[in-house]
Amino acid sequence: MSVIRTAGLTRRFGGVTALEDLTLELPRAGVIGLVGPNGSGKSTLIRMLLGLISPTSGTAEVLDEPISAPGRYLDRVGALVENPAFVPGLSARANLMSLARLRGLPPSRVDEVLRTVGLTGRDTEPVKRFSLGMKQRLGIAAALLPDPELLILDEPTNGLDPSGIVEIRGLLADLARAGRTVIVSSHLLAEIETVCDFLVVVRFGRLVYSGPVTDLLARTGQRIEIAAEHPQDTSSLHALLSADGWQVEQVSEGRLSVAADERRGAELNRSAARGGITLRSMTPVRGSLEEIFLEMTGSSDQDLTAARAAAAERKAS
Amino acid sequence: MINAVRSELLRTRRKGIVLGWSGLTVLFTVMINMVMAQVVGSSSTGPTAGPGVSFPTLGQWQAADGITAGLSSAAGMYGVVALSFWAIVTAGDYSSGLIRLTASAQPDRVRLLLGKAGALALWTAAVTTVALVADLVIAPVAAQSADIDVSAWGRDIVPTLAGAWFNLFATLLVWGVIGLALALVTRSAAVSISVGVGYVLVVEAVVTAALDAIADWTPGATLGALARGGTADIPYGTALALGALYTLLGLGVALTVFRRRDITD
Repeated sequence: MSVIRTAGLTRRFGGVTALEDLTLELPRAGVIGLVGPNGSGKSTLIRMLLGLISPTSGTAEVLDEPISAPGRYLDRVGALVENPAFVPGLSARANLMSLARLRGLPPSRVDEVLRTVGLTGRDTEPVKRFSLGMKQRLGIAAALLPDPELLILDEPTNGLDPSGIVEIRGLLADLARAGRTVIVSSHLLAEIETVCDFLVVVRFGRLVYSGPVTDLLARTGQRIEIAAEHPQDTSSLHALLSADGWQVEQVSEGRLSVAADERRGAELNRSAARGGITLRSMTPVRGSLEEIFLEMTGSSDQDLTAARAAAAERKAS
Repeated sequence: MINAVRSELLRTRRKGIVLGWSGLTVLFTVMINMVMAQVVGSSSTGPTAGPGVSFPTLGQWQAADGITAGLSSAAGMYGVVALSFWAIVTAGDYSSGLIRLTASAQPDRVRLLLGKAGALALWTAAVTTVALVADLVIAPVAAQSADIDVSAWGRDIVPTLAGAWFNLFATLLVWGVIGLALALVTRSAAVSISVGVGYVLVVEAVVTAALDAIADWTPGATLGALARGGTADIPYGTALALGALYTLLGLGVALTVFRRRDITD
């Protein structure tokens, strides 16, 4: 059972191809991450799924209904697309009430979603006085109004403080546990890695990866960092392991990194012992989603440059 | 569609729109009546009309239905204001990004747009009432200040007021629909208002000066005649029919553009 199916979905704006021949199938229930550099086609895809723009070619289905007939499924879909947009002079409650009326929902639903996102008590304030984080919560509340089977959130944690991020993460997990499907588009790859079960990576409008996050993480070259009991043995250990066919790199003084799955730890230990060297420590190191993403997309836009710098910093520390 | 109208009414119930639109309407009503009292009171042949404004003769103002002459005289100005507010509300949805939310909450775009038009028509009716009430308060004061005999004003007051209200409402509705269509085509309130004001003040005057044959068909002339309940050149029935035609054309353009265009804002 899939929540979204696309076949050869393509969208061109003049001479620019925003999305090209996208074919994918997303599973029902769970949290799905949609990632890609700026301009990779994420927003175009989301807008097409919501019936806001039509494809140049190809087909897609949402909740088993074609995107050419969004009226058949949008009452079961909630979405936050790009920045949350509201009438600034109206209160949070009035903004939500106008959307509830548009969807034909009872006013009690507004109270429920305000409670869910923690805005009860601030609901009579004009939205223009809200911080970015509060606007974000209001945007999520608007998306939750129809009690959706499918929730599409574009950068949902944008502007939220750490406790807000944890709350939203919990909310997404709760929704997924309740059998809903949540699609989260984000640049915060650590966030995606934490909450998502399934991942879609796009770059320059093309699909780079679609599958479980665990499968993607398992694809990465896992490493084991080792240190000899006596630091002066490090170069001998390097030579010994290399001669045994291991791929070895020196990562810092006294520490070596060996390309190996943690299940080969005992074998690595025996290789060192055969040369008469005792290991003081062995630490399995797995590639992060951020590193994999950078490897897969290899782009150089500002977000990625910042992400790369952050990843390098974390590695160094 | 009722849901779409109720939703839009709630969204447009904000100070900037309610006070701005009503305030400008009251201001123009006061202004036109005071100017009329000074200009019409001192001339028996009737002063020259300007772009968007036409003055009655002294005799017309003193007639039983003269109490509402200010409304028909300023109909062009009220019309530009109506066009502007319809355009601001419509184009504002694009500039704020609100259109993404509303279009995904109500994917039937015809229903969504007709809901917006319905709500704006209700606001237009409210503003028409404000204009009428303001005129009823100001016109006698203005006439008195110029020593004009208005003893005939009390006769047939109900049909006079009802007719003036309907004619002004119909006129503003057509201007509003033109604003709606312009806003959907340009997706910019500023451009829509510029086009509307530019048309009323410049384009129509130039076009009718160059092509006399179409002078009785142009929106400005037609809507001016509709507001006055018909003129010698454009009878009331013709003005009503042309007004209806412009409304249908405007709605047709608006619906076609809104249904077919992608929402990329």
